[in-house]
Amino acid sequence: MKFSISRYNPDQDDKPYLQDYDIDILPSDRMLLDVLLRIKAQDNSLSLRKSCREGVCGSDAMNINGKNGLACITRVKDLKEPVVLRPLPGFPIIRDLIVDMTQFFKQYDSVKPWLINDEPPPEKERLQSPAERDKLNGAYECILCACCSSQCPSYWWNPEKFVGPAGLIQAYRFIFDSRDTATEVRLENLDGAYRLFRCRTIMNCSEVCPKGLEPSHAIEMIRLNMLKDPGDSGALPTHSV
Amino acid sequence: MMAHGNERTGRTMRTRPTGLPAWLVQRASAVYMLVFLIGVLGLAVLYPLHSYAEWKSWVARPTVTVAIALFFAALLSHMWVGLRDVLLDYARPASLRQALLWVVALGLCAAGLAMAWLLVLQQV
Repeated sequence: MKFSISRYNPDQDDKPYLQDYDIDILPSDRMLLDVLLRIKAQDNSLSLRKSCREGVCGSDAMNINGKNGLACITRVKDLKEPVVLRPLPGFPIIRDLIVDMTQFFKQYDSVKPWLINDEPPPEKERLQSPAERDKLNGAYECILCACCSSQCPSYWWNPEKFVGPAGLIQAYRFIFDSRDTATEVRLENLDGAYRLFRCRTIMNCSEVCPKGLEPSHAIEMIRLNMLKDPGDSGALPTHSV
Repeated sequence: MMAHGNERTGRTMRTRPTGLPAWLVQRASAVYMLVFLIGVLGLAVLYPLHSYAEWKSWVARPTVTVAIALFFAALLSHMWVGLRDVLLDYARPASLRQALLWVVALGLCAAGLAMAWLLVLQQV
Protein backbone atom coordinates (compact mmCIF):
# COMPACT_ATOMS: atom_id res chain seq x y z
CA MET A 1 0.00 0.00 0.00
CA LYS A 2 1.36 3.42 -0.94
CA PHE A 3 1.71 6.16 1.66
CA SER A 4 2.84 9.77 1.16
CA ILE A 5 3.77 11.29 4.47
CA SER A 6 4.60 14.93 5.12
CA ARG A 7 8.14 15.28 6.43
CA TYR A 8 9.70 18.36 7.96
CA ASN A 9 12.79 18.70 10.07
CA PRO A 10 13.25 22.38 11.01
CA ASP A 11 17.02 21.87 11.36
CA GLN A 12 17.38 20.62 7.77
CA ASP A 13 14.36 21.54 5.67
CA ASP A 14 13.13 24.89 4.38
CA LYS A 15 9.60 23.60 3.99
CA PRO A 16 7.65 20.35 4.39
CA TYR A 17 7.79 17.75 1.61
CA LEU A 18 6.01 14.43 0.95
CA GLN A 19 7.99 11.21 1.35
CA ASP A 20 6.64 8.03 -0.24
CA TYR A 21 6.55 4.67 1.51
CA ASP A 22 5.41 1.35 0.03
CA ILE A 23 4.23 -0.99 2.75
CA ASP A 24 2.94 -4.56 2.59
CA ILE A 25 -0.21 -4.62 4.69
CA LEU A 26 -0.32 -7.46 7.22
CA PRO A 27 -3.47 -8.95 8.80
CA SER A 28 -2.49 -7.23 12.04
CA ASP A 29 -2.58 -3.78 10.36
CA ARG A 30 -6.17 -2.94 11.20
CA MET A 31 -5.82 0.75 11.91
CA LEU A 32 -3.70 3.46 10.28
CA LEU A 33 -1.65 3.86 13.46
CA ASP A 34 -0.61 0.19 13.24
CA VAL A 35 0.89 0.89 9.80
CA LEU A 36 2.49 4.15 10.93
CA LEU A 37 4.24 2.37 13.78
CA ARG A 38 5.59 -0.20 11.32
CA ILE A 39 6.82 2.61 9.06
CA LYS A 40 8.47 4.20 12.08
CA ALA A 41 10.15 0.88 12.90
CA GLN A 42 11.71 1.01 9.40
CA ASP A 43 12.46 4.75 9.42
CA ASN A 44 12.87 5.93 12.98
CA SER A 45 13.32 9.56 11.87
CA LEU A 46 9.54 9.76 11.27
CA SER A 47 7.93 11.71 14.13
CA LEU A 48 4.35 11.49 15.29
CA ARG A 49 2.39 11.67 18.51
CA LYS A 50 0.42 8.71 19.86
CA SER A 51 -0.56 7.36 23.21
CA CYS A 52 -3.71 5.39 24.02
CA ARG A 53 -4.12 3.92 20.48
CA GLU A 54 -7.90 3.63 20.98
CA GLY A 55 -9.37 7.07 20.25
CA VAL A 56 -9.41 8.36 23.80
CA CYS A 57 -6.31 10.55 24.18
CA GLY A 58 -6.53 12.45 20.86
CA SER A 59 -2.74 12.52 20.41
CA ASP A 60 -2.54 11.09 16.90
CA ALA A 61 -4.82 13.58 15.16
CA MET A 62 -3.60 14.23 11.62
CA ASN A 63 -4.84 15.08 8.16
CA ILE A 64 -5.63 11.79 6.40
CA ASN A 65 -6.31 12.08 2.66
CA GLY A 66 -7.42 15.68 3.20
CA LYS A 67 -9.70 15.07 6.18
CA ASN A 68 -8.65 15.35 9.81
CA GLY A 69 -8.98 12.23 11.94
CA LEU A 70 -7.33 10.00 14.48
CA ALA A 71 -4.87 7.49 13.02
CA CYS A 72 -5.69 4.94 15.74
CA ILE A 73 -9.38 4.62 14.83
CA THR A 74 -9.06 5.02 11.04
CA ARG A 75 -9.43 1.63 9.37
CA VAL A 76 -6.73 0.86 6.81
CA LYS A 77 -9.17 -0.95 4.53
CA ASP A 78 -11.27 2.21 4.18
CA LEU A 79 -8.35 4.32 2.91
CA LYS A 80 -7.85 5.26 -0.73
CA GLU A 81 -4.34 4.96 -2.17
CA PRO A 82 -2.01 6.72 -2.06
CA VAL A 83 -2.71 7.58 1.56
CA VAL A 84 -1.55 11.17 2.01
CA LEU A 85 -0.78 12.07 5.62
CA ARG A 86 -0.11 15.63 6.67
CA PRO A 87 0.04 17.40 10.04
CA LEU A 88 -3.11 19.19 11.25
CA PRO A 89 -3.66 22.13 8.87
CA GLY A 90 -3.35 25.66 10.16
CA PHE A 91 -1.14 24.74 13.11
CA PRO A 92 2.62 25.48 13.24
CA ILE A 93 4.60 22.31 12.47
CA ILE A 94 7.18 21.22 15.02
CA ARG A 95 8.37 18.19 13.07
CA ASP A 96 6.80 15.79 10.53
CA LEU A 97 3.25 15.07 11.81
CA ILE A 98 3.71 16.87 15.14
CA VAL A 99 2.14 20.32 15.48
CA ASP A 100 2.39 23.07 18.06
CA MET A 101 -0.90 23.08 20.03
CA THR A 102 -0.01 26.09 22.26
CA GLN A 103 -2.50 28.49 20.66
CA PHE A 104 -5.20 25.82 20.64
CA PHE A 105 -4.86 25.25 24.38
CA LYS A 106 -4.71 29.01 25.03
CA GLN A 107 -8.15 29.28 23.43
CA TYR A 108 -9.35 26.29 25.44
CA ASP A 109 -8.09 27.92 28.64
CA SER A 110 -9.77 31.22 27.70
CA VAL A 111 -13.26 29.75 28.15
CA LYS A 112 -12.42 28.80 31.76
CA PRO A 113 -13.12 25.10 31.29
CA TRP A 114 -13.85 24.35 34.91
CA LEU A 115 -16.92 24.56 37.13
CA ILE A 116 -17.46 27.99 38.70
CA ASN A 117 -19.80 28.06 41.67
CA ASP A 118 -19.41 30.60 44.47
CA GLU A 119 -22.05 29.07 46.68
CA PRO A 120 -20.76 27.05 49.67
CA PRO A 121 -20.40 23.40 48.70
CA PRO A 122 -23.03 21.05 50.11
CA GLU A 123 -22.05 18.33 52.54
CA LYS A 124 -21.89 15.61 49.88
CA GLU A 125 -22.08 16.81 46.27
CA ARG A 126 -23.85 19.24 43.92
CA LEU A 127 -26.75 17.18 42.65
CA GLN A 128 -28.23 17.28 39.16
CA SER A 129 -31.46 15.85 37.84
CA PRO A 130 -31.13 13.31 35.00
CA ALA A 131 -32.50 15.98 32.60
CA GLU A 132 -29.88 18.51 33.72
CA ARG A 133 -27.13 15.94 33.36
CA ASP A 134 -28.42 14.99 29.92
CA LYS A 135 -27.56 18.48 28.61
CA LEU A 136 -23.87 17.70 28.98
CA ASN A 137 -24.09 14.68 26.69
CA GLY A 138 -22.64 15.38 23.27
CA ALA A 139 -20.17 17.89 24.76
CA TYR A 140 -18.28 16.27 27.65
CA GLU A 141 -16.99 13.51 25.35
CA CYS A 142 -14.65 15.96 23.55
CA ILE A 143 -11.07 14.70 23.80
CA LEU A 144 -9.41 17.93 22.59
CA CYS A 145 -7.72 16.25 19.63
CA ALA A 146 -8.07 19.53 17.64
CA CYS A 147 -9.40 17.81 14.50
CA CYS A 148 -12.30 20.29 14.45
CA SER A 149 -10.45 23.56 15.06
CA SER A 150 -7.74 22.56 12.61
CA GLN A 151 -10.32 21.95 9.86
CA CYS A 152 -12.12 25.27 10.50
CA PRO A 153 -11.30 28.07 8.01
CA SER A 154 -12.43 30.71 10.52
CA TYR A 155 -9.87 29.33 12.98
CA TRP A 156 -7.16 29.36 10.30
CA TRP A 157 -7.64 33.10 9.72
CA ASN A 158 -8.02 34.15 13.36
CA PRO A 159 -6.49 31.57 15.72
CA GLU A 160 -5.60 34.28 18.25
CA LYS A 161 -9.10 35.79 18.35
CA PHE A 162 -11.61 33.07 17.45
CA VAL A 163 -12.01 30.45 20.20
CA GLY A 164 -12.60 27.71 17.63
CA PRO A 165 -15.06 24.81 17.74
CA ALA A 166 -13.15 22.75 20.32
CA GLY A 167 -13.03 25.63 22.80
CA LEU A 168 -16.65 26.53 22.10
CA ILE A 169 -18.03 23.05 22.71
CA GLN A 170 -16.17 23.16 26.03
CA ALA A 171 -17.72 26.57 26.72
CA TYR A 172 -21.14 25.04 25.98
CA ARG A 173 -20.40 22.22 28.43
CA PHE A 174 -20.07 24.72 31.31
CA ILE A 175 -22.68 27.26 30.17
CA PHE A 176 -25.28 24.49 30.17
CA ASP A 177 -24.10 22.86 33.40
CA SER A 178 -26.84 23.40 36.01
CA ARG A 179 -24.19 23.52 38.77
CA ASP A 180 -22.26 26.39 37.17
CA THR A 181 -23.20 29.92 38.33
CA ALA A 182 -21.03 31.96 35.93
CA THR A 183 -23.26 31.68 32.85
CA GLU A 184 -23.56 35.45 32.31
CA VAL A 185 -19.81 35.99 32.64
CA ARG A 186 -19.15 33.11 30.25
CA LEU A 187 -21.58 34.54 27.66
CA GLU A 188 -20.05 38.03 27.96
CA ASN A 189 -16.63 36.47 27.47
CA LEU A 190 -17.80 35.08 24.12
CA ASP A 191 -19.55 38.19 22.79
CA GLY A 192 -17.95 40.51 20.22
CA ALA A 193 -17.18 39.92 16.58
CA TYR A 194 -14.37 37.44 17.11
CA ARG A 195 -14.61 35.05 20.06
CA LEU A 196 -17.73 33.14 18.97
CA PHE A 197 -19.16 35.05 16.03
CA ARG A 198 -16.32 34.27 13.61
CA CYS A 199 -18.14 30.94 13.23
CA ARG A 200 -19.75 31.00 9.78
CA THR A 201 -21.51 27.65 10.28
CA ILE A 202 -19.31 25.92 7.72
CA MET A 203 -19.75 22.78 9.85
CA ASN A 204 -16.39 21.20 8.99
CA CYS A 205 -16.05 20.70 12.76
CA SER A 206 -19.05 18.38 12.94
CA GLU A 207 -17.99 16.67 9.73
CA VAL A 208 -14.55 15.66 10.99
CA CYS A 209 -15.08 15.08 14.73
CA PRO A 210 -13.72 11.56 15.34
CA LYS A 211 -16.04 11.21 18.35
CA GLY A 212 -19.14 12.10 16.31
CA LEU A 213 -19.78 15.32 18.24
CA GLU A 214 -21.35 18.42 16.71
CA PRO A 215 -19.57 21.60 17.84
CA SER A 216 -21.56 23.64 15.30
CA HIS A 217 -24.77 22.72 17.14
CA ALA A 218 -23.17 23.67 20.47
CA ILE A 219 -22.22 27.07 18.98
CA GLU A 220 -25.81 27.57 17.82
CA MET A 221 -27.06 26.71 21.31
CA ILE A 222 -24.71 29.31 22.84
CA ARG A 223 -26.04 31.94 20.40
CA LEU A 224 -29.62 31.07 21.36
CA ASN A 225 -28.67 31.23 25.04
CA MET A 226 -27.33 34.76 24.43
CA LEU A 227 -30.81 35.57 23.08
CA LYS A 228 -32.34 34.10 26.26
CA ASP A 229 -33.88 31.39 24.12
CA PRO A 230 -33.85 28.09 25.99
CA GLY A 231 -33.50 26.22 22.67
CA ASP A 232 -33.82 22.46 22.59
CA SER A 233 -33.69 20.79 25.92
CA GLY A 234 -31.61 17.71 26.30
CA ALA A 235 -28.37 16.43 24.87
CA LEU A 236 -26.53 17.77 21.85
CA PRO A 237 -26.98 15.64 18.76
CA THR A 238 -24.19 13.25 17.82
CA HIS A 239 -23.57 11.15 14.74
CA SER A 240 -21.92 7.84 14.09
CA VAL A 241 -18.41 7.89 12.66
CA MET B 1 -7.88 44.80 19.15
CA MET B 2 -10.17 47.55 18.03
CA ALA B 3 -11.52 48.35 21.48
CA HIS B 4 -9.50 50.67 23.65
CA GLY B 5 -10.92 51.18 27.11
CA ASN B 6 -10.25 54.51 28.78
CA GLU B 7 -8.86 53.62 32.19
CA ARG B 8 -9.73 56.96 33.75
CA THR B 9 -13.38 57.16 32.69
CA GLY B 10 -13.98 53.47 31.96
CA ARG B 11 -15.60 54.45 28.69
CA THR B 12 -14.85 52.80 25.39
CA MET B 13 -13.09 55.18 23.06
CA ARG B 14 -13.70 53.34 19.79
CA THR B 15 -16.55 51.18 18.64
CA ARG B 16 -15.91 47.47 19.10
CA PRO B 17 -17.28 45.30 16.30
CA THR B 18 -20.33 43.60 17.72
CA GLY B 19 -21.14 39.93 17.73
CA LEU B 20 -24.71 39.13 18.67
CA PRO B 21 -26.35 42.35 17.32
CA ALA B 22 -24.62 41.96 13.93
CA TRP B 23 -25.63 38.30 13.78
CA LEU B 24 -29.24 39.22 14.56
CA VAL B 25 -29.32 42.04 12.00
CA GLN B 26 -28.01 39.69 9.31
CA ARG B 27 -30.68 37.10 10.00
CA ALA B 28 -33.61 39.49 10.51
CA SER B 29 -32.73 41.43 7.33
CA ALA B 30 -32.47 38.17 5.36
CA VAL B 31 -35.95 37.13 6.50
CA TYR B 32 -37.45 40.52 5.58
CA MET B 33 -35.77 40.54 2.16
CA LEU B 34 -37.01 37.03 1.44
CA VAL B 35 -40.59 37.88 2.42
CA PHE B 36 -40.45 41.16 0.45
CA LEU B 37 -39.09 39.55 -2.71
CA ILE B 38 -41.61 36.71 -2.62
CA GLY B 39 -44.39 39.26 -2.05
CA VAL B 40 -43.29 41.51 -4.91
CA LEU B 41 -42.85 38.57 -7.29
CA GLY B 42 -46.27 37.23 -6.27
CA LEU B 43 -47.90 40.61 -6.88
CA ALA B 44 -46.13 40.98 -10.22
CA VAL B 45 -47.51 37.62 -11.32
CA LEU B 46 -51.04 38.18 -9.97
CA TYR B 47 -51.42 41.85 -10.90
CA PRO B 48 -48.96 42.58 -13.70
CA LEU B 49 -48.07 46.22 -14.26
CA HIS B 50 -47.54 47.06 -17.90
CA SER B 51 -46.28 50.60 -18.07
CA TYR B 52 -43.80 52.90 -16.38
CA ALA B 53 -46.67 55.10 -15.17
CA GLU B 54 -48.33 52.11 -13.47
CA TRP B 55 -45.08 51.15 -11.74
CA LYS B 56 -44.48 54.75 -10.69
CA SER B 57 -47.91 55.12 -9.12
CA TRP B 58 -47.53 51.73 -7.38
CA VAL B 59 -44.16 52.70 -5.89
CA ALA B 60 -45.58 56.07 -4.81
CA ARG B 61 -48.21 54.43 -2.60
CA PRO B 62 -47.07 55.18 0.98
CA THR B 63 -47.19 51.53 2.17
CA VAL B 64 -45.15 50.40 -0.87
CA THR B 65 -42.65 53.23 -0.40
CA VAL B 66 -42.18 52.25 3.24
CA ALA B 67 -41.82 48.56 2.31
CA ILE B 68 -39.22 49.42 -0.34
CA ALA B 69 -37.38 51.71 2.08
CA LEU B 70 -37.31 48.88 4.62
CA PHE B 71 -36.08 46.50 1.93
CA PHE B 72 -33.13 48.73 1.11
CA ALA B 73 -32.40 49.31 4.79
CA ALA B 74 -32.35 45.52 5.22
CA LEU B 75 -30.21 45.06 2.10
CA LEU B 76 -27.64 47.66 3.14
CA SER B 77 -27.42 46.45 6.73
CA HIS B 78 -27.10 42.86 5.48
CA MET B 79 -24.34 43.95 3.14
CA TRP B 80 -22.61 45.81 5.95
CA VAL B 81 -22.47 42.74 8.20
CA GLY B 82 -21.36 40.48 5.35
CA LEU B 83 -18.65 42.80 4.02
CA ARG B 84 -17.54 43.64 7.55
CA ASP B 85 -17.10 39.93 8.26
CA VAL B 86 -15.04 39.44 5.09
CA LEU B 87 -12.79 42.36 6.06
CA LEU B 88 -12.47 41.17 9.67
CA ASP B 89 -11.34 37.80 8.35
CA TYR B 90 -9.02 38.73 5.53
CA ALA B 91 -7.93 42.40 5.64
CA ARG B 92 -4.52 42.72 7.25
CA PRO B 93 -2.93 44.76 8.79
CA ALA B 94 -5.38 46.38 11.21
CA SER B 95 -4.88 49.89 9.76
CA LEU B 96 -5.84 48.66 6.26
CA ARG B 97 -8.83 46.83 7.72
CA GLN B 98 -10.00 49.98 9.52
CA ALA B 99 -9.63 52.05 6.36
CA LEU B 100 -11.54 49.52 4.25
CA LEU B 101 -14.31 49.33 6.87
CA TRP B 102 -14.71 53.10 6.58
CA VAL B 103 -14.80 52.92 2.77
CA VAL B 104 -17.51 50.25 2.91
CA ALA B 105 -19.49 52.12 5.57
CA LEU B 106 -19.38 55.40 3.65
CA GLY B 107 -20.24 53.67 0.37
CA LEU B 108 -23.26 51.95 1.89
CA CYS B 109 -24.39 55.20 3.57
CA ALA B 110 -24.15 57.00 0.21
CA ALA B 111 -26.17 54.24 -1.47
CA GLY B 112 -28.76 54.45 1.33
CA LEU B 113 -29.07 58.22 1.01
CA ALA B 114 -29.42 58.00 -2.78
CA MET B 115 -32.17 55.41 -2.40
CA ALA B 116 -33.95 57.46 0.27
CA TRP B 117 -33.82 60.51 -2.01
CA LEU B 118 -35.34 58.55 -4.90
CA LEU B 119 -38.17 57.34 -2.67
CA VAL B 120 -38.81 60.84 -1.32
CA LEU B 121 -39.05 62.10 -4.90
CA GLN B 122 -41.91 59.64 -5.48
CA GLN B 123 -43.92 61.33 -2.74
CA VAL B 124 -43.65 64.89 -4.08
